[in-house]
Amino acid sequence: MTRIIFVDSKWEGDLTLGDKVIKYLKDKKIKSLALFASVQFVHFDKVIEQIKELGIEVKLTKAKRTSQIGQILGCDAYHDSFQEPIIKESDAIMYIGDGLFHPKALLLSQIKEKEIKPVLQWNPMSKKFSILTKKDIEPEVKRKIRNLKLFVNAKTIGILVTIKPGQQYFNSAKRLKEHLENQGKKAYIFIDDTLKLNELENYPFIEAWVNTACPRIGTDDILNTNKALLNLREAGNPIKELGELNNHEK
Amino acid sequence: MYSLELNKVIEEIKRQNAKQVLIQLPDGLKTRAGEIADFIEKNTNAKAFVWLSSCFGACDLPLGLDILKIDLMIQFGHNRYWKTERW
Repeated sequence: MTRIIFVDSKWEGDLTLGDKVIKYLKDKKIKSLALFASVQFVHFDKVIEQIKELGIEVKLTKAKRTSQIGQILGCDAYHDSFQEPIIKESDAIMYIGDGLFHPKALLLSQIKEKEIKPVLQWNPMSKKFSILTKKDIEPEVKRKIRNLKLFVNAKTIGILVTIKPGQQYFNSAKRLKEHLENQGKKAYIFIDDTLKLNELENYPFIEAWVNTACPRIGTDDILNTNKALLNLREAGNPIKELGELNNHEK
Repeated sequence: MYSLELNKVIEEIKRQNAKQVLIQLPDGLKTRAGEIADFIEKNTNAKAFVWLSSCFGACDLPLGLDILKIDLMIQFGHNRYWKTERW
């Protein structure tokens, strides 16, 4: 049997906050801060020291799927993805790393809250400080609401299953099929490796799709298709989900 | 620059006596595939191969490698992932 090892490829360069970040934290009189990083930057001891020196309390938690405290994955995009609710309990949220995939997860995890706290991002590679806000996930939220409405009214549903071991929820898909059919809908299960959304075009009789693989497919990738596509978590009780998302819109 | 920890990789290949090794890299590290494969083949008796496409995370591991008799798969850029049951 093939054995597997991981090399987490840590960032070897400078891992301290720039002056702009320090000034922002001082100016905004931040008292507590929830700190996260992708695995390459999670050895952020110097950042913690810098923040503590400002008299700010640093809050850390373990995301349930990760191996290290403070680390975040793209799929940690729900309010219950973390062991402790530090996002709710902190004045500010900070992400150390590059790209938008991980810091957006921190916004998405607040999607049902009345107030979505911004995410402060420090990129140690480019030395760039940026702030992501509710606006950065507005297109995704709007599309989610549209897709949920289409799903509620759809009679024929396609359920997507990947064979990637870490994202494979075949049993959940079979339970969902039964659940939907008990509600008078017809459901088919489609299986693939990497789920490519253009493949959905080949099945025009499917009115709405449910993704059981990576939850970011039903959040980010929905902007790349006109098909009504949502995640497994939303498909069980779409009416409740719609109510909670509409609450966010007000 | 990201640390590829190639010396550790070499040690692990030798310790496991792996003969065929597959390297899987996220997009940001794919440009270094040649360098990694060359280093492995130069410093061990193993043959090194490269997974061509997706490497979304530790949740995304290639299947069917047994058929090719790949002894060891090395995924860079991620660490161990704990799958949670849902629904």
